[in-house]
Amino acid sequence: MEYFSPTSVEDAVSILHKYGERSRLIAGGTDLMVDMRFKDQPDCLVNINRLSNLSFIKPDEDCLRIGALTTIRELEANHLIKTRFRVLWNAAHQFASLQIRNAATIGGNIARASPAGETLAPLLTLEAKARFVTADGEQLLPLERFFLGPGRTALGAGGLLTGIEVPYPDDGARGVYLKHAVRGPMDIVVVGVATTITFDGRSAVNEARIGLAAVGPTPMRARGSEQLLQGKHLDLPLIEEAARGAAEEAKPISDHRASAEYRRWIVESLTRRALTQAWQNV
Amino acid sequence: MIEIALNVNGKEHHASLQPYLSLMDFLRDMLGYKGVKVCCSTGECGACTVYMNGKLVNSCVTLAAAADSGEITTVEGLASNGKLHPVQIAFIETGASQCGYCTPGFIMSAKVLLDEHPNPTVDDIKDVISGNICRCTGYTKIIEAIQLAASIQLAEQVYGD
Ligand SMILES: Cc1cc2nc3c(=O)[nH]c(=O)nc-3n(C[C@H](O)[C@H](O)[C@H](O)COP(=O)(O)OP(=O)(O)OC[C@H]3O[C@@H](n4cnc5c(N)ncnc54)[C@H](O)[C@@H]3O)c2cc1C
Ligand code: FES
Ligand code: FES
Repeated sequence: MEYFSPTSVEDAVSILHKYGERSRLIAGGTDLMVDMRFKDQPDCLVNINRLSNLSFIKPDEDCLRIGALTTIRELEANHLIKTRFRVLWNAAHQFASLQIRNAATIGGNIARASPAGETLAPLLTLEAKARFVTADGEQLLPLERFFLGPGRTALGAGGLLTGIEVPYPDDGARGVYLKHAVRGPMDIVVVGVATTITFDGRSAVNEARIGLAAVGPTPMRARGSEQLLQGKHLDLPLIEEAARGAAEEAKPISDHRASAEYRRWIVESLTRRALTQAWQNV
Repeated sequence: MIEIALNVNGKEHHASLQPYLSLMDFLRDMLGYKGVKVCCSTGECGACTVYMNGKLVNSCVTLAAAADSGEITTVEGLASNGKLHPVQIAFIETGASQCGYCTPGFIMSAKVLLDEHPNPTVDDIKDVISGNICRCTGYTKIIEAIQLAASIQLAEQVYGD
């Protein structure tokens, strides 16, 4: 196995370009180390931990910029994220153990593109964009178009994610992320539901965004339910209807963790709970 | 093979190793720090917990090469001048160690908590050990040990060692 530890993004990308499918980037290693031990080893391993300029949380005027090497623990410990990007903070806070949060990076979580990835549904509801570099140059793409399937992204074989750009939610936006897993935070989500809702005045919904995790090949938005809520005053019957709608929009599969039917049922109850929490906090 | 240099428990080491090697396998098999336990090898159980540059990590899912130029502390590095750390004393006193396989990992997690919160609540304790699994004790004695360790540490600060 060849090994590189580049100190610039350009060097990293040219190594990836040269080795293509046979190469793997490694950041925190919490996914890749397990793959290398129990599945297969790449011919070329590219350790990106020396790209220390990819580790940052930077509040710019137009958006919050987060570097790909920022750890989940750093997100959890950040005050701005805790207060203004609550939906993302909720996900970071419920992410595995302290040991894993200290090592796992947000870039690795996004590049891994697991439909169950903890930060993905929250980031969809924040309408975050991915910034990445390939041999063809730099690109900025909304996350919704970045995810192509389980483990498949616009990065292809030779792309390096440098960070994400997250627009500031409106003042007073309510963000909630709820995770259903059998053994609590340590376990992979059976279903995750993220909501980011802004209200007009008291309880009329200005904009509702609902993100679903682990119920399709990629994390997804429940657009139908979002439209249903738009402009309306939240009340229990409306919340019930939106929750049922989200369950219908979900495209779950059955696997060893849960059946598709069970997953739809959980989508409905988590959506109901998330919307109720947002509504009660208005 | 690649070359790395790192500091483990205050001692400098140079080694040449396979690039895919985990920090756990490196510390145990190449440097002989057997206090780093092998269990799940998937980041789930915490038996292999160490500090890398002061941060609590699972060494089984850490690339050894990522520790190049870094500092590692294992459970072997907690005692100073032949004197056990309060967390170690408390685990012995309370009987929080049965088969003992999980103990080094729990001790590493507990110390991180006490460094930041000298007087933790039971919830703080449960939180910090959520990445460590014990098949023997049922956790009750482990929580008692960490509470005792906090008292020992506070007493040492007030009365000296
Ligand atoms: C015990 C345990 C519990 C876990 N619990 C959770 C959980 O609760 N929620 C959750 O979502 N995940 C969980 N995970 C999975 C994992 O921790 C996360 O997906 C993590 O964010 C991966 O980040 P990393 O830096 O460790 O990635 P790595 O393992 O280093 O890399 C992951 C993948 O992304 C690629 N990659 C990494 N960085 C980049 C980049 N900048 N550009 C392009 N490609 C890149 C790598 O090539 C690799 O294919 C858990 C893992 C373990 C072992
Ligand atoms: S052996 Fe590393 S966490 Fe279990
Ligand atoms: S004492 Fe045996 S596993 Fe914890």
